[in-house]
Amino acid sequence: MVDAILLIAIPLGTAFLLGLLPGHWRGAAYALTLAALAVGSAISAAWLLEFAAGADPREIHTAGAPPPFAIALRIALAESAGLLLVSLSALFAALYLRDTLLKQGRRAMAVLLIFAMALSGLILTRDLFNLFVFLELTVIATGGLVLLSSDPRALGAGFKYLIAAQLISILLLTGLIFIYHAGATLNIDELAAISLERLPGGTLAFFLVFIAVVAELKLFPANGWALDIYESAHPAFSALVSAAAGTAALFALDKLLAGGTAWLPVATAIGCVSFIGANLFALAQDNDRRLLGYSSVAQLGLLVVVVGQRDLLGEAYLFVAGGILLAHALAKAGLFWLSGLIEGRDLTAWAALRRRPLLLFAFASFIALLIGLPPFPGFYAKWELAHRLAAGGHIALLALILFGALLEAGYLLRWFGHAVKGTPPEQGPARAPQKMVAVHAALAGGWAAGYLWGELSGLGNLLHALPLLFALAFLPLDWLPARVKNSLAIAGMLGWFLHAYPGYDPLQLIFAAVILPGGALILLASYQNGGRRIGFYPSAMLMFAGLIMLIEANDSFGFFAAWESLTIGSYFLILRGRRSQAHALSYIVFSLGGAFLILAGFTLAAQGQTQLPLSALGDAPTALAPWVFLLLAVGFMTKTAAIGLHIWLPGAHAEAETDVSPMVSGILLKAGLYGLFVLLTQMGSQQLHGIDLTHAMLWIGALSALLGNLMAIFQEDAKRLLAYSSIGQMGYALFGLALMNHLGWLMALMFVINHFIYKSMLFLSVGGIAKRTGTRDMYRMGGLITLMPLSFIAVLIGIIAISGVPPLSGFGGRWIFYNAIMEGPHRLPLVILFLAGPIAFLYLFRLIHTIFLGQLKDEHRRVREAPFWIILPQMIQVALLLGFALVPGLALRHVDAYIGGLVPGGGLDWEGLTITSAFGYWSPVTIMLIVGVIFASLFAWLLLVNRRAQRVGQFNIVFAAERPYRPETTHFAWNFFAPYRKALGFFTQPLATRFWAALTDLLHAGAGLLRRHYSGDGQTYVIHLLAFVVGVYLLRMGL
Amino acid sequence: MTEIALATGFLLILIGLYGALTNRNLLRMIVAFSVANTGVNLVLVGVGYLRGRAAPILDATLPAAEAPARIIDPLPQALVLTAIVIGVGTTALMLAYAYRLYLTRGTLDISRLRELKW
Repeated sequence: MVDAILLIAIPLGTAFLLGLLPGHWRGAAYALTLAALAVGSAISAAWLLEFAAGADPREIHTAGAPPPFAIALRIALAESAGLLLVSLSALFAALYLRDTLLKQGRRAMAVLLIFAMALSGLILTRDLFNLFVFLELTVIATGGLVLLSSDPRALGAGFKYLIAAQLISILLLTGLIFIYHAGATLNIDELAAISLERLPGGTLAFFLVFIAVVAELKLFPANGWALDIYESAHPAFSALVSAAAGTAALFALDKLLAGGTAWLPVATAIGCVSFIGANLFALAQDNDRRLLGYSSVAQLGLLVVVVGQRDLLGEAYLFVAGGILLAHALAKAGLFWLSGLIEGRDLTAWAALRRRPLLLFAFASFIALLIGLPPFPGFYAKWELAHRLAAGGHIALLALILFGALLEAGYLLRWFGHAVKGTPPEQGPARAPQKMVAVHAALAGGWAAGYLWGELSGLGNLLHALPLLFALAFLPLDWLPARVKNSLAIAGMLGWFLHAYPGYDPLQLIFAAVILPGGALILLASYQNGGRRIGFYPSAMLMFAGLIMLIEANDSFGFFAAWESLTIGSYFLILRGRRSQAHALSYIVFSLGGAFLILAGFTLAAQGQTQLPLSALGDAPTALAPWVFLLLAVGFMTKTAAIGLHIWLPGAHAEAETDVSPMVSGILLKAGLYGLFVLLTQMGSQQLHGIDLTHAMLWIGALSALLGNLMAIFQEDAKRLLAYSSIGQMGYALFGLALMNHLGWLMALMFVINHFIYKSMLFLSVGGIAKRTGTRDMYRMGGLITLMPLSFIAVLIGIIAISGVPPLSGFGGRWIFYNAIMEGPHRLPLVILFLAGPIAFLYLFRLIHTIFLGQLKDEHRRVREAPFWIILPQMIQVALLLGFALVPGLALRHVDAYIGGLVPGGGLDWEGLTITSAFGYWSPVTIMLIVGVIFASLFAWLLLVNRRAQRVGQFNIVFAAERPYRPETTHFAWNFFAPYRKALGFFTQPLATRFWAALTDLLHAGAGLLRRHYSGDGQTYVIHLLAFVVGVYLLRMGL
Repeated sequence: MTEIALATGFLLILIGLYGALTNRNLLRMIVAFSVANTGVNLVLVGVGYLRGRAAPILDATLPAAEAPARIIDPLPQALVLTAIVIGVGTTALMLAYAYRLYLTRGTLDISRLRELKW
C-alpha cells in the first residue's frame, strides 16, 4: 500500500514545485495541481478499499520514531473516507475554479493545495500540536482562498475570519501547553489513556483546546464571521469550507474527545443549540449562499450531537455519523456549485433551473439528501440515530432534533418551491462544462451513497425495492411523449396488482385495489395531456410506489420508508399545480411533521429494535404504549386531515392539476386510514391519564365531519368545496374506526371504497368543467346541463352517493354506520355526526344546482362537453358506483369476515342479496328497484306536465344598462348560504388556520429579530466568541 | 521567575485582547493581536521552563545517559518556535488584507466593514 503520508507530502511538494515554475506556465501549473489532487484522491480511495475489506488501522510514525518523540499519524476506515472526501472535493473545486485559477496563476493553486493538505493533516494526525499547526494552515489558506471571490465584500469577511482565528489560536495554544504541562505528552492516544480530568489544571486546559476546535467548526451562535465567508466567498470555496473543512474539523473534535468523555454531554448540548438555532435563523434568509451557510452550521451542529452521543451509538456510530456527514458534504458541495451557475442571489433566482430539467433534478436530490429523505444515506442514519436515542431514553433530544429537522425541511422546500414555480429568467443557468461536471459528480455521489448506506443498513435497501425502481425508471424515460409514459404507468400498476394480489389479506386487498387499479383508472384522464409532461410520471409513480409499499410493509422501517416516499411523491405532484406553491409547502411541512411523529412513535415502541415487525407494536412497554399510540395516531391523522391539522388540505387538493386532485384526494388520503387501521389492529384502545384515546379520536372524527362539511358549504370554488368535503368524509371514516367495533370498521372500509370512487369522480367532473369554462367559481357557471350532459350525470350520481340517500352505495355506508353506532355507547359525538349529514346535503345541492341548472352564462354558450379522456374514467366510476350499490357484498363480505377476527361485535349476514344486521336488514336490489320506479314515474309525470309549459328564451327580460362594481354580488348563487353563515358561521372561523399562521409568523419574526445579533461587526463577533467560551465553561462547571 | 513570566504572558494576552476589541483601526488591531501572541509565546516558554537545568544540547559535558535528568524539556521551545513562525504568517496575511482593504475601500475602520450581516 502507498504510504498515507504522501497525502501530506504530495500537495506540499507540488505547492513548492509550483513556486519554481515560470509564472506564465499557467496551463502546466494547473495540470500539476489537478494531478496532485487526483493522485491524493486515488491514494485515499485505495486505502478506503483496503479498510473496507477489513484491514487493521495503520499507525504512521514520522521521523521513524514512536510518540512522544515524533508525530504519529493514523489511518483507518473513517479517516480514509474523510481523506477521500477532502481530496475529491478539492479536486472538483479545482476543476470548478478552472477559469479563476488560470487567471490568478500558480500562487492561488499552491494555496488550494495547501488547504487540501492541511485538511488531510487534520484528519490524519494524532498529535495535538500538529493539530494546531494544521488548523493554522487551514486558517491561512482560507484567508488566501477567500480572495478568489469576485465579490468585493469578501475582503471584509476574510478579515473578520482572521480576527476570530487569532482568538481561537490563542485559546488553543494556551490550552496545549497546559495539557503538556499536566500530561507530559501531546499524543492524543496517550492523553486519552491518562485521564486529564484528574490532573491539576487538566480540565481547564482540555476545555481550552476543546472549545477552540468547536469554534473552528463554526457553530452557532458564535460564528458570524463564518456566515459572511459562506455568503461572499467563491461558491467553489464555500463548498470546500462547508464539505471538506467541516469534515476535517469534525474529525479533530472526534479524536480530541477520545480522551474527554466527560465533555460528550457538552458537545451534545452545543450541537443541539447549533442545529436548532441555525435552522431557525435560516427561515428568515433570502440570500441563497447565506442560507446554505446557516444550513451548514446546522448540519455540523447535528454531527456534533452525534459525536456527543458516541457512547450511546456504539458500533452504529460510524454508520450514523458517516451517513449524515456524507449527505451533508455531497449536498452542500452540490448546492454551492449549483449556486455558481445561477445569476441572482435571491432564492427566487433559482427559477432559472426550470430551463434545465437535469439541474432541477440535481437540486431536488440535494435537498432530499440534506433533509434525509429516502433513499439517501441521511435517511438510514437518522432512522438508526432516532432508535438509539429513544432506546437510550434521550427523548427530549430526539424531539429537539426532529423539530430542527422540520424547520430545515421548511426552508429548504420553500426554496425548492421558488425554483419550481418561479418565473424563469430569459437566460437559463450558465453553460460551463467543468462546473456541470462537478455538480453531476455530487449528484452521482449522492445516489451512490444512498445505495451504499442502504446496503450497510441491514434494513433492506430501498434502491432494491421494485416499486421504487419502477418510479425512478421514469426519470431517464422522461423524454418520451406523455401518452407513452401514461400507458407504461398504467401497465406497471395493473401488472403489479395482478402479480401481488393473491398474497394480500382482505384488508390489504381493499386498499391495494383502490391504489393500483383505482390509480390506473384515474390515470386514464391523464391521456388528455399531450406533450412530455416532464416530471409528472416520476412524481406520480413515486407516490403510488410509496402507497403500495405501505400496504405491503411488514415492519416499521418498510412502513416509514414507504410513508416518506409517498409523501415526497405527492408533494412533487401537488407542486405542479399552477398556483399551488404555498399550498404544496404547507402540505409537505404538515406531512413531514406528521411523519416525524410517526418516527418518534415507532422508535418509542421499538426500544432500539430498528426493524420492528408491525405485529409487535402491541408489545410496547405498558408505560410507553399510550404515548406510542398518541404519536402514531396524530401522525396518521395529519394525513387524513383531521380537524385542527387540516389547513393544508383545501389548497393542496384544489390547486392541484385536474388529474392530480382525484389522485391525492381519492387515493392518497387513504394512506392515513390504512395507518390507523394498522395502529388500532395492533394496539387497540389505550388510556392516557384516564382518557380513552379512541374516545378522543371519536370526538375528533365527529368534529371533523361537522366542521369540514360546514366549511364546505361556504365555498365559492367548486374544487375547494370538494376538498373541504374530504375533511368531513375522512371524519366519518375516523369516527367509524374509533368506534372500535365490527360494524364501525366495516363502515370505515366502505368509506375507503366509496370516497375513492365518488370523490375522484367529482374532482374529475369539476376539473373537466373548469377546463372548459375557464373558472372554478360556481357562481360564474350555470345552465351547463344541456352542454355537458355526461358531466352532469357523473356529478348527479356522485352527489347521490355521497349524501347517503338511497339507492346508491352511500346509503349502504350510512346503513352500516347507523347499525354501528347503535352498538356503540357514545351518544353526544353521534348527535354531532348526525347533524353533519344534512349539512353535506347543502353543499352537494349547491354543486349541482349552481353549475348545471339556472341560466347559461353568455360566455359559456359555445362550451363543449369535457374532453373524452376526462369523461371516460367518470363513466367507469358511475358504473362502479351502481355496481357497488347493487352488490356491496362482492367486496365487503370477505372483509367483514376478516374484521371479525380483529375487533369485537357482530358482523353482518350476507345471505343472498339481502344484508342483515342485529337491528334490521338492507336489500340493495329492492331499494334500487323502488327508487328507480319512483324516479321513473315522477320523471314521466314531469315530462307530461312540461309539455304544456311555455319556453321562455334566456333574453326574454330586460337588462339594466349598468354594470355593477362587483357583479357576483348580484348573482343568486354567490354566497348562496348567507343565512346559514349568519347563524353558523362562527363554527367556521379559521381558528386552526390562525393558530398555525401565528405559529409560523412567530418563528419567522423570531428568526428575523434574533438574527440581528449577527451585526456584521468583526469585533462584536470576537465578543460573541469570548462570551460563548465563558458561557460554555460556566455551564459545564455549574452542571 | 516562572511565575513572573507566566503573569506577564497572561497580562500581555489580556492587553492584546483589550486592544483588539477597543480599537477600530485595522492596523491597531493587528498590533494588538501581535501583543497577545507574544503573551502566548511567553506563557509557552514559561510553562516549559525547569529551574536549574541545562540547555538541551548534548556534548562532552552532558552525556546522553544523564540528559533526561539534567536538561530542560526542548519540546515547549520547539513549539514556541513553530508558533512564532505561524504567528508571523498570520500577521503578514492580516497586514496584506488591511492593505487591500485600504486600497479598495479607502478606510481602515473595521466598523465600516458591515455590509455582510444577519
